Amino acid sequence: MDFLDKYWNIFIDKAQEELQSFKEQLLILEKELDNADAFNEIFRIAHSLTGMTHVMGYKRMYRLMRKIHEIFWEICNRIHCMEKITINIGWINVLFRVLDSLEKYLDNIINFKDEGTDDNEQIIKDLDYILKSIVFSRFSRKSKKLWGCDRMDVSQYLGIFIDETKEHLQSLNEQLLVLEKEPDNVDTINEIFRAAHSLKGMAGTMGYKRMQRLTHDMENLFSEIRNGKMTVKAELVDVLFRGLDALEKYLDNIINLGDEGTDDNEPIIKDLNRLLKEGMGTAKEDEKATIQSETSASQIEGTNGYKELPLAEHEKKAVIKAYENGMNAFGITVYVQENCLLKAARAFLVFKALDEIGDIIRSQPEVQDIEDEKFAYDFSMVLLTKEELEHVKTVILNVSEIKAAYLVKLDMPESEHKTEEKVQTPQVQNTTETTTTTQTSNNLTSQQSAAAVQAAPAKQAVGKRASTATNGKQQSKPVVNRSVRVDIEKLDDLMNIVSELIIAKNGLVSMANSEGATANQGFNEQIEYLERITTDMHQSVMKVRMVPIESVVNRFPRMIRDLSKKLNKKMELYMTGEDTELDRTVIDEIGDPLMHLLRNAADHGLESNEERVRLGKPEVGSIFLDAYQEGNNVVIEVRDDGCGINVEKVRNKAIERGTITEEQAEGMTDKEIVELLFRPSFSTSEVITDVSGRGVGLDVVKTSIENLGGNIETRTALGEGSNFIIRLPLTLAIIQALMVELGSEKYAIPLGSIETIESVELKDIKHVQTKEVIHLRGSVIPLIRLSTILDVEDVKEDAQELTVVIVKKGDKLAGLVVDNLIGQLEIVIKSIGKYINNVKMISGATILGDGEIALILDVNTLV
Amino acid sequence: MEENTKNQQVINSRQYIVVKIGNEQFGIDIQYVENIVRMQRITRVPKAQNYFKGIINIRGEIIPVMSLRLKFGLRADEITNATRILIIKLEAQSAIGIIVDEVKEVVTLTEEDIDKVSNNDSEVRAQYLSGVGKHGDGLITVLNIAEVIMERDTIQ
Repeated sequence: MDFLDKYWNIFIDKAQEELQSFKEQLLILEKELDNADAFNEIFRIAHSLTGMTHVMGYKRMYRLMRKIHEIFWEICNRIHCMEKITINIGWINVLFRVLDSLEKYLDNIINFKDEGTDDNEQIIKDLDYILKSIVFSRFSRKSKKLWGCDRMDVSQYLGIFIDETKEHLQSLNEQLLVLEKEPDNVDTINEIFRAAHSLKGMAGTMGYKRMQRLTHDMENLFSEIRNGKMTVKAELVDVLFRGLDALEKYLDNIINLGDEGTDDNEPIIKDLNRLLKEGMGTAKEDEKATIQSETSASQIEGTNGYKELPLAEHEKKAVIKAYENGMNAFGITVYVQENCLLKAARAFLVFKALDEIGDIIRSQPEVQDIEDEKFAYDFSMVLLTKEELEHVKTVILNVSEIKAAYLVKLDMPESEHKTEEKVQTPQVQNTTETTTTTQTSNNLTSQQSAAAVQAAPAKQAVGKRASTATNGKQQSKPVVNRSVRVDIEKLDDLMNIVSELIIAKNGLVSMANSEGATANQGFNEQIEYLERITTDMHQSVMKVRMVPIESVVNRFPRMIRDLSKKLNKKMELYMTGEDTELDRTVIDEIGDPLMHLLRNAADHGLESNEERVRLGKPEVGSIFLDAYQEGNNVVIEVRDDGCGINVEKVRNKAIERGTITEEQAEGMTDKEIVELLFRPSFSTSEVITDVSGRGVGLDVVKTSIENLGGNIETRTALGEGSNFIIRLPLTLAIIQALMVELGSEKYAIPLGSIETIESVELKDIKHVQTKEVIHLRGSVIPLIRLSTILDVEDVKEDAQELTVVIVKKGDKLAGLVVDNLIGQLEIVIKSIGKYINNVKMISGATILGDGEIALILDVNTLV
Repeated sequence: MEENTKNQQVINSRQYIVVKIGNEQFGIDIQYVENIVRMQRITRVPKAQNYFKGIINIRGEIIPVMSLRLKFGLRADEITNATRILIIKLEAQSAIGIIVDEVKEVVTLTEEDIDKVSNNDSEVRAQYLSGVGKHGDGLITVLNIAEVIMERDTIQ
C-alpha cells in the first residue's frame, strides 16, 4: 500500500487544516447555536475527514468522524427542509471533546505514524446519544413531508466534488489500462476499488443518483475481481471503460449544466450486471435471476424477499401466545436503499415505527449491530401486532429510503412438547418456497463481500502501521515533507518582482561598466555577487512554476487504446520523459496540439494491420511520444513507424487545388511541400486527408505551438514513418538574448533560435530570384535586411562587411543583417499591450539596464 | 437645506484635467488619469498605427504612447518643455499614454456646465467628444477618453 505513504503528508496537512477550521466553526456555534453556515461547514469538514481517514486506514479516527458526519448530515438535512435548528449547548462540549481526541489522534499519527489505541468509547456513546436525539425529535414531529427531502443543499461542495471526481476518474483510467495488461495485479485492483468506492460515495452525497448507480454497479464488479471470484477479461475492461466514459459525461453535464443529465446508461448497467452474473458462475442461478428480476425487481409486492429467522424457544412461546390473544405474528425483512447514507438511522426509524404498533420480539442482526451499522442493506425481524399485514407494510414504507419490505405471516409454531425435537424455524406460509430474489441476493452477497474486503486492507494497514510504529519509536521522528499549495497568481507576482530585480541589476551592471572598471574594485565584486544571486533566484522561481508534462500526457494511453479499437488497428503507445518539466502556462496549452498529432499518427500514419504484415513490418504499430530538455528548450516528439507522408501526392494535390503553381512546385523542396500541410487552407480539405493522410487541423497545431513561442518541425520518410518535433521554450517570462543594434535602435534576438554569427563580405552575396542569399558551409541561406523590414530610419551605409546573425526555425536557416552586436543579456519579456497593432515580427519588449526599451524580434515570423 | 444642494452638486459634478492641444482646451475625466509624466524617450514600434509614437517605460511597466494630435488628424507634435504624457488606465493591466502640448489645471464641472454636442458634427474627431463644458471665460471640450483609446481606424 505505498499510496498511503505517498499521500501521508498530504493527509497530515489537510487534516490539520480541516481540524483548525472545525475548531473555528465550533467557536462560532458556541456563540450562535443555530448558525446554519457553521452546520454546513462542519458537515463538509466531516465529510472530507471521513473520506481521508477511511482511505488512510485510521480506523478509530474514521469511526469518530463518521459519527460526526451522520449527526451533521441529519442537521443539514433539516436545515434544508427549512427547519430551524438550535443545538444544545451541552453538545458543543461533546463536540469540543471530539475535536480534542481527533487532534490527539493526529498528533499520534504525526509522531508515531499510528493513531494510537484510544477508542474514545465514551465520546462515541455521547455522539450516539446526540444522533438519536436528533433523529427522534425529527420523528416525533410526524411531519411526513420532511421525508421527501432526502437531499441537502450540496452546491457549495460542487467544486470539491468536481475536482475529486476528475482525479478519481483519471486514476481509474490509468489503473484500468494497467489491469488490462496485468489482470492479476493486486495493487491495481485495490486502487481501482478504492477510487470507485470514493466516487460512489461522493456522487451519493451530492445526490447524483444516476452516477451513483453506475459507480455502484462498477464497484460490485471490482469487488468480485478483488475477491478473486472473477477474472479480468477484455470484454470486462471494455464495459468498464464505457462506464468511465459515461461517468465523464455525467461529470461534464454537472460542470456545464449543473446537473448529471437524464441518461441512465441502461445498456452499460445491464452489461455490468450480466458480466457480474457470468463471473459469479452458476448458470442456473443466472437463469433464475433473469426471470426473477423481471418479475420481482419492479414490484415490492412479492413476499419472497423474506429471510427466515430461526426463533428461540421463548420467542416461539411469545408467538403462540400472540396468536392466542388474537394478534398476528409477521416475519419481516426490510431492504434499505443501497444509496442510503444513514442505514442505521433508517433502520432505527423502522424499529421505532413498528414499536408503536406492536412488539418486536426478535431481529436479525441484533439491534445493537443495526445501530452500529453492522448490516448490509437488509434486516429482518419478527413482529407481534394487532394490525393487519398491509398496514404494517405501509408503516415501514413510510420511512424514507426504504427500498422494499417483505412481510410473511408466521405459522403457529409447533407446540411446546414437540419443539425439543425440532429447534428449527417456523414455516413460512409461502408457496414459492425459499427462493429469495436471486438478483437481490446477488447484490447483497457482493455488498457483503465488498464490506468485508474494505475492512481487510484497513486491518492490514493498521497492522503495518503498528509495526512501523514500534520501529518508529526507536528511531527518530519521521521526516514530514511539508508542501504548500499556492495560487498561481501569487507566483506570477513573485516572478514579476524577480523580473524587476533583474532589470535593476542590469542597471547597476551598465553603470559599473560606464564608470570605468577600475574605479572601485569592491563595487564590482558586489555587483557580480548580486548578479549571481538574481540568476539563482530567477531559476528558483522558475522551478516553482514548473509542472511535469505527465499531467498532460497521462490521458494519452487511454486515448490510443480507444483509437486502436475504433480504427481496428493494433497499436501501442510508448512514452518517455513524462517527468520533463515545463512552465505552467505552457502545460495548459500543449495538450490539444499533442492530442491532434497523436490522433493523426494513429489514424493516418499507421497502416492497417494486414498492410503492415504485407510490408514486413511488425503487425502492431508503434507510436512514440518522447519529451526531453535540450538547452533552454523542451522538445516533444510525436513519432510513428507508419507509412510516412507521400510528398508527391501532397505536391500534386497542392497544385490541383491552386495552393501553389506548377512553377512554384518545381522550386520547392520536399520539406517545403510538407510545410504546406500546416497551411489553414489545406487542413479543411477532405481530399487531401484521404490521399496523403495528413492535414487534419495541423494549422491549428502550428498556431497554438507558435503562440507559446515554440515551433514544429516535420521529418518524414516514405514507408518508414513520420516524426513531428515540437520545440517549446522552458519559460515564457525571462530569456537569454543577443542584443543587436539597427541604426540607433536596439533589438533583442532570443539566443535559443540563434545558430551562429557570421561576418559576410558584400561580394559574397548572391542573388536568387531577386532575393539575396549567401553560401555558408554548403547551404544556401536567404538574407533578411532587418533595417528594411523594420523601417529603421537612420540606416548606416553598407560597409564592406555585413554582420549576419544566422537564426534557425526548425531546420530552416536565415541570416539577419544587423548593424552592430551589443552582447548577450538576460532579458525579461514584457507585453507591448493590446492597443498597438500587434506587429507579428515583434514578440514583446524588454527594459534594459539604463531604463531604455528594446523590442524582441520573433524569429519564427521573420524566417 | 444648503447642505443638501451642496451634496447634490458633488454627486453631479466631476473633476477634469484640462490639457491644451494647439489653442484648444480639452478635459479628461480625472478618474482615468493615473499619472502625468514629462516627455521622455519613446521607443518606436515598427509597423504600428501612425498615431502610436511607440512605447515608454514607466517604472518597469511598458506603456504604449499615442499622439492625440495625430489621432485627431492635426499637425505632428512639437515637443516643448511643456509637453506631457498623460498615463490613462481604463482597465487594469493596460495603461496607455497620450501626448498633450500642455497640462493646465484641474477643474470641477457639474452636469449643467456641460453641453452635449450634436452628433451630426462632420469633423473627424466628433466621435471622441462627449460635450463642451464652460469654465470661467473658456470652453473645455470634454473628451470621451474610452472612445479615443479604442482601436478604430477611421483616420488615415
